[in-house]
Amino acid sequence: MLESIGSKTLDCIESAGQFARFSRRVAVASLQTCFQPRAYPLVWTQMNTIGVHSVPVIMATGAFVGMILAVQAYDQLAGMGLEEHLGVLINIAVVKELGPVLAAVMLAGRVGGALTAELGTMNVTEQISAVRSMGTNPVKYLVAPRVLACLLLTPFLIIYADLLGILGGYFVSVVQLGINSRAYWEFSARGVEMWDIVTGILKGFFFGGAIASISCYKGFHCRKGAQGVGEACTEAFVGSFISILALNFLFAVIAKAIYNTFWSIQPLL
Amino acid sequence: MRKEVESDSGVIVLKNLVKKSGTELVLDGISLAAEEGKTTVIIGPSGCGKTVLMKHMIVLERPSAGEVYFKGRRIDDLRERELEKVRTQYGFLFQGGALFDSLNVYENITFPIRQHHEITDWKAIDELVKSKLAMVGLDGYQTHYPASLSGGQKKRVALARAIAMNPHVILYDEPTTGLDPIRADIINELILKLQKELDVTSVVVTHDMKSAYKIADRIIMLHEGKIVADGDADHIRNHPHPAVQQFIHGRVSEEDLAALRLGGTKFKTQYTPEDFR
Repeated sequence: MLESIGSKTLDCIESAGQFARFSRRVAVASLQTCFQPRAYPLVWTQMNTIGVHSVPVIMATGAFVGMILAVQAYDQLAGMGLEEHLGVLINIAVVKELGPVLAAVMLAGRVGGALTAELGTMNVTEQISAVRSMGTNPVKYLVAPRVLACLLLTPFLIIYADLLGILGGYFVSVVQLGINSRAYWEFSARGVEMWDIVTGILKGFFFGGAIASISCYKGFHCRKGAQGVGEACTEAFVGSFISILALNFLFAVIAKAIYNTFWSIQPLL
Repeated sequence: MRKEVESDSGVIVLKNLVKKSGTELVLDGISLAAEEGKTTVIIGPSGCGKTVLMKHMIVLERPSAGEVYFKGRRIDDLRERELEKVRTQYGFLFQGGALFDSLNVYENITFPIRQHHEITDWKAIDELVKSKLAMVGLDGYQTHYPASLSGGQKKRVALARAIAMNPHVILYDEPTTGLDPIRADIINELILKLQKELDVTSVVVTHDMKSAYKIADRIIMLHEGKIVADGDADHIRNHPHPAVQQFIHGRVSEEDLAALRLGGTKFKTQYTPEDFR
């Protein structure tokens, strides 16, 4: 019993150390890639697959989040005669939390899974060894472009999620539930600050970095065989999801502390 | 007949190489030198560590103990960045080809060149790809993707890629496995040609004794992580070690036969398909 707890703890520490070393290599390689125009085409290709192709699903996610918030919150607010404040609630929730987090989760599923499966298969079929055998650094060639693409484009994808969330909420609130359009926007504009939007989007860098590095790490270190690749994909998704939530919590605490230092809290209603 | 290995006598020299995988001892104190311009063939039963041994020669795997030298310089303790430069002098043909799925044949072959050189003259590169592909009998396949090639074709494209940079040393991991006898012989001829014309040092891992006899200047047999025989083709043919004789003649051992006999194929309790009708 003690032995198994001990060995599991050791395994955990070992893999954490391995991940930290991998992340350091990725960070160095990504920085180098930034200054090597020769490697840019690799980044463009990844930006296309990771970023551009994710736009539709991210937009759909955002739109549904906005719409469901309107549907669920309307009755309570209408009961208190506050339905015109619905906009503040929806828009704050979308730009601060739900837009960024759900966009990132969607990306973790769509992009993270694909990255792990692709790199895992490359690992199993010795393609990563082949890259190394030809004197090329696989982290620089395979991981850095993917991490850069994810890191740089997640904030933009969050903008899309936010935009569609806001429009979705507006559609249900104003068009379906008949709230006065002007009041809806007035209250929203008063409640939602630039700070909320910017911090929401900035989170994207951290989420994107976490998704790409965890997924690539899992792909690089997956066990042989179809089962190994499958397990790696699951672990990558779960790992990315948990770290998105944890990072989000951490980011919220820090952002709030910074905000409170400079400004006072504003009541929304 | 057995030649003792001098530590500085070869392009690649391994000294007392030990590799442990978990608790299992895969390689147990291997010392050998691949001589310049010669073809060294490593034979041995499946799972005896031949491929692992070959990966140590290019330090794709790090030894648990022992040393690896390339052209007199110790390389097993180098950092990956320094190793990258050393590896450009190698060509490595992987067992399954290890072609990049996302790139077509042309891009696969030009991959190592593009990684290490700024290409200005694309016409020359086209010519180079054409000539390398012609060498393996696949000119005209430039735009094919690996997924649309057969196993043998993949292997030949991989060989073209391995020789794209005109390496000093080529490591072949089972180059003829999975090819038809004629193609297999073409690969043998190609290995001989590269050795003669470009003075390439080759190390070949294989099960194929016909190929081994044809191309080898020296044959090394691995058995249970150790070298049991080392010499030219005649030396191996007449080697007294039973494992060597068994392997080169493809004979089943007495113990294996006994296990087969005892295992049997008919049991009293065994069901037949009719029992389930």
